[in-house]
Amino acid sequence: MKLEKIVERIPSSSWEAISEKLIDIVLNSSNSNKMPSGLAKTILYYWQRDQLNTKIGIQRLLEASTLIDPEETVEVLKELDLQEAIAVIESH
Amino acid sequence: MIDFGIEFVPRDLYWKTTFYAIQAEKTGFHTLWITDHFNNRNVYVSLAIVSAYTDKIKFGPGVTNPYMAHPIVTAQAVATLNEIAPGRVVCGIGVGDRTTLELVNMKLSKPLATIRESVGIIREITSGKNLEMQGEIFTVSGAKFNFQTTSRIPIFVGAQGPKMLALAAEIGDGVLINASHPSDIDRAMGFIKEGASRTGKRLDDVEIAAYTSFSVAEKPENAEKAVIPVVAYIVAGSPKKVLQKHAIPVETADGIRKAIIQGKWKDAFAPITREMIETFSICGTPEIVVEKIDKLVKIGTTQLVAGSPIGPNVRRSINLIAAKVFPHFNIKEDK
Repeated sequence: MKLEKIVERIPSSSWEAISEKLIDIVLNSSNSNKMPSGLAKTILYYWQRDQLNTKIGIQRLLEASTLIDPEETVEVLKELDLQEAIAVIESH
Repeated sequence: MIDFGIEFVPRDLYWKTTFYAIQAEKTGFHTLWITDHFNNRNVYVSLAIVSAYTDKIKFGPGVTNPYMAHPIVTAQAVATLNEIAPGRVVCGIGVGDRTTLELVNMKLSKPLATIRESVGIIREITSGKNLEMQGEIFTVSGAKFNFQTTSRIPIFVGAQGPKMLALAAEIGDGVLINASHPSDIDRAMGFIKEGASRTGKRLDDVEIAAYTSFSVAEKPENAEKAVIPVVAYIVAGSPKKVLQKHAIPVETADGIRKAIIQGKWKDAFAPITREMIETFSICGTPEIVVEKIDKLVKIGTTQLVAGSPIGPNVRRSINLIAAKVFPHFNIKEDK
């Protein structure tokens, strides 16, 4: 399942919270250097436009956090009780 | 009235620095300073990408030095940045970090003459002039850019000692005082006044920035934990006079310096006391840092630069400053 589909299943009421937590993973993980430069620039683009808490912003953050720290990403999804999304990420 | 500046060290990945720069702009910081050390990412490349993702925050090297980069090259870099982001560029210049420069055998010779001439060169060249000069340090025999320069670039001079503080006020648009403690800033003000008077400037004509080591968090112990490594470096690099003024034994500083050189971090950080943290940083909860900044404002500081580490979690600390520190101050409108 593509990331767009996962994000589709996250209720909009959780967007702000998940965005905050994914940003923390992306910025503070010791694996941050795994971030592809192109994806980093896309995230900066959405950050500049205040869109990291939108569907497209969360999609890019999720892509980054899954690359950088999949375990921590799953933990965040668990905290927010996003079971469907966890199943998809764990299956990769 | 005060502006808030913020410092980033491009030891971090470029996109993290840029992320925090965007955040600093959104939250209302006035100026972004990026440090210039050869062993970190390049300051101008870092600033160029920051310029592309921001629209109004002012930014510049904080500080570059004329030993690693000829002032003509610095002038070229800041003028190019000013073309990308007209009117947003500032140039911070100082003698630089002795420890880092010594790694590449650079001697900080004749610092006063070197800074005086460098500021002159940068100012003349970025004004679009054809420069010819024969100085004590630099000789320029007809140098002019092949491109048009835009607006004037304010030059801030980084200073700590009496003579450099006076020179900074004399020749600079601003002074970046490398200190955090009110008594150090207060002492600096005397030299700044003296320097400004040499060219008939009023104190109001000079921006006076306290370039501090800064750490803020909701829990004071978290703020302290984050600032200890930075304070260890400051203590290790402080001149004897500064240590003695603050009753810090020179032997303790020597021990910390040795431990840093040997990479024995536990030994380097263990001797750091609460008094050292008080002396060399602005550290604590938002309420505590407000109180400390207020003292600096009363002394005459016109810009507070929140320098490294900013806090245990940079993103949260930036938000904390914006939410709980800014509202206590009368922040200057942009000129």
